[in-house]
Amino acid sequence: MERPLSPFMFPVWYRFQITSALSILHRLTGIALAVGSILLAWWLVAVSAGGELFATTHAFLASPIGVLLLFLWSVAFFYHLCSGIRHLAWDAGYGFELPDAYRSGYAVLAATALLTVLAWLYVFLA
Amino acid sequence: MAKSPSLANLTALRDETVLRRVRHFGSARNGLQEWRLQRLTAIALIPLGLYFAASMLRLATSDQVTAAAWLASPVATLLVILFVLAGLAHGLVGLRSVLVDYVHTRAGLLAAELLVRAVVVILGGASVLAVLKLFLGR
Repeated sequence: MERPLSPFMFPVWYRFQITSALSILHRLTGIALAVGSILLAWWLVAVSAGGELFATTHAFLASPIGVLLLFLWSVAFFYHLCSGIRHLAWDAGYGFELPDAYRSGYAVLAATALLTVLAWLYVFLA
Repeated sequence: MAKSPSLANLTALRDETVLRRVRHFGSARNGLQEWRLQRLTAIALIPLGLYFAASMLRLATSDQVTAAAWLASPVATLLVILFVLAGLAHGLVGLRSVLVDYVHTRAGLLAAELLVRAVVVILGGASVLAVLKLFLGR
């Protein structure tokens, strides 16, 4: 049976709100981090092997595309971390009231921005 | 705690009596174990992830010798291996839940799950071998 799936709701019937947007973002960043685990394994192997493999890997990571990927993954990492803590709080039974959910949602966004900025400031200043 | 019971304590997952009944009559699969594994690895990944991120920031501008020396230290060896394994286990549960949502044929779901599992095992094996090789100094 052909039934419409949820994405068809989006532009017309479904009004975007921060709670659902953050939920979708949690899943997207999770997928991004899973893809990033390929780079993590690759980097660990490169450090272990040394020589030309490390040189190639390092050159890729230091290239504009490499830095952009690392930046996006750092955003995904910090977001998924903060949002994950929010989810664990829900699992423990806290923060279900709508005002609380909105507040914790904005807190997650602020913490993500702060951690990302601090991390990259450290990289560029250290 | 006593005056305002946690909502989670009111759900079937926390009520052992309900849980036993659900186990008996409910889904014959492994949803609850998977749910718990996802939360357990999530909790473990908070300190492990922060340790790994901090280490990466410290190593961001360093060369291979520095990175290898760090990775060969016992604490880094242990924590990076735990980080990789917890991360991959957590990612596997998460990816499976995404696949279940979007792959609508049994054959497609099985194929996708096998592929994801294979990739996870290869990545985990390669990561652990790489770290252990440095730790054992070969």
